[in-house]
Amino acid sequence: MSTDLTPLWDAPATAEFWPQDYQRTLLAQVDSTMAEARRMAPQASGSTWIMAQEQKAATGRRGRPWSQPKGNFAATLLLRVNDDPAQAALRSFSMAVALRQTLAMSVPPEQLSLKWPNDVLLAGGKVAGILLEAIGQGGRVDWVSIGVGVNLVAAPPLDQVEDGAFRPVAVADYGTPPSPQDFLFWLASHFGHQERLFKEFGFGPIRRLWLHDAARLGETITARLPNEEITGRFETVDENGYLVLTTAKGARAIAAADVYF
Amino acid sequence: MTKKTPHDTDVSFIKALAELLRENDLTELQVKRDYGENDSLNVRVSRQQPGQVVTQKAAAPAPVAAPAPSAAPAAAAPASDDVDPANLPGAVTSPMVGTVYLAPEPDAANFAKVGDTVNEGDTLLIIEAMKTMNHIPAPKSGTVKRILVEDGAPVEFGAPLMVVE
Repeated sequence: MSTDLTPLWDAPATAEFWPQDYQRTLLAQVDSTMAEARRMAPQASGSTWIMAQEQKAATGRRGRPWSQPKGNFAATLLLRVNDDPAQAALRSFSMAVALRQTLAMSVPPEQLSLKWPNDVLLAGGKVAGILLEAIGQGGRVDWVSIGVGVNLVAAPPLDQVEDGAFRPVAVADYGTPPSPQDFLFWLASHFGHQERLFKEFGFGPIRRLWLHDAARLGETITARLPNEEITGRFETVDENGYLVLTTAKGARAIAAADVYF
Repeated sequence: MTKKTPHDTDVSFIKALAELLRENDLTELQVKRDYGENDSLNVRVSRQQPGQVVTQKAAAPAPVAAPAPSAAPAAAAPASDDVDPANLPGAVTSPMVGTVYLAPEPDAANFAKVGDTVNEGDTLLIIEAMKTMNHIPAPKSGTVKRILVEDGAPVEFGAPLMVVE
């Protein structure tokens, strides 16, 4: 497999169709694209995709290790926003929708589903991870870093993932994986579209797209919070992006949790 | 470990009480709701000045926004139980509904502890909502006087998190 990303990177078609108002940076190696985004934010002139062929210290949510076998996709979008934190966090869904659309070009779309808020499942397994960090001051968010890791060619072994509730799978197990640079091109394009929708119409269209592909809608699922576990019927995702479960004690709208089923 | 049960219905209930207070021009309202054994909600809603509604929630078994044990050293400060910490000068409040993390990751040292000197912009804690980690920065340089939330606790919009003076 070629590790030289330059040809497609500089190809006229890429330049022509790359979403407007987004820059891109390609790194051969970095500690993590999220850390790079943090360092870049103070000087960045606008939204920038940061992609790395190799990450030396990639992490998932809450410091969980993220394994990136060679040929897999890892990038962070440093997104310029001017939102309150609750609005900024809705990018979780925008990126999940864009990621599903991008994966649907390589694997049978009916094998893909979404788990609240931003997990994309492939045949019920974990094929990707999305992680967001908001940077701001005074109750406003200036930048959202959205990290995306996708198992294109290989999934990490089960014993290397901390949360094995959803078995790791790769695009290569169900289709023909694109190169990381092709994947970025389409992901950036799909996300650019979702972001335009969000700015023009708010969360509504993204919420509908997300619900259309939601896994286990109407079924019983469990939301695990740090100090509590809530099991109930998965009713919907509300206009705030909260997970709505109907439990024996009534409806609960949940802002932060890990979902299991 | 105490188990928290912050019912969202409680929140709407409190909001409804606050409305009632405003509409009827009352200054204080106290209600106790029993949900069952060891599960009750005690709400006192009071208005300190026109247009300003202060809510204080004390739900059994564990209050959501009650001072954490680490806040004890702040007893030296002239803070009476009647003062909503959200109204203290130097109070840092939550800009969103979510889960509080006092440390960057499990087993790591907390971002800040009582007595620490912090600079404006330093991360005091993280609030997570929808897998988005919101770094809550110190609004100004100063000393961390009180920490009003526990690691892993759910918080509502406007909930007092820390006091930095």
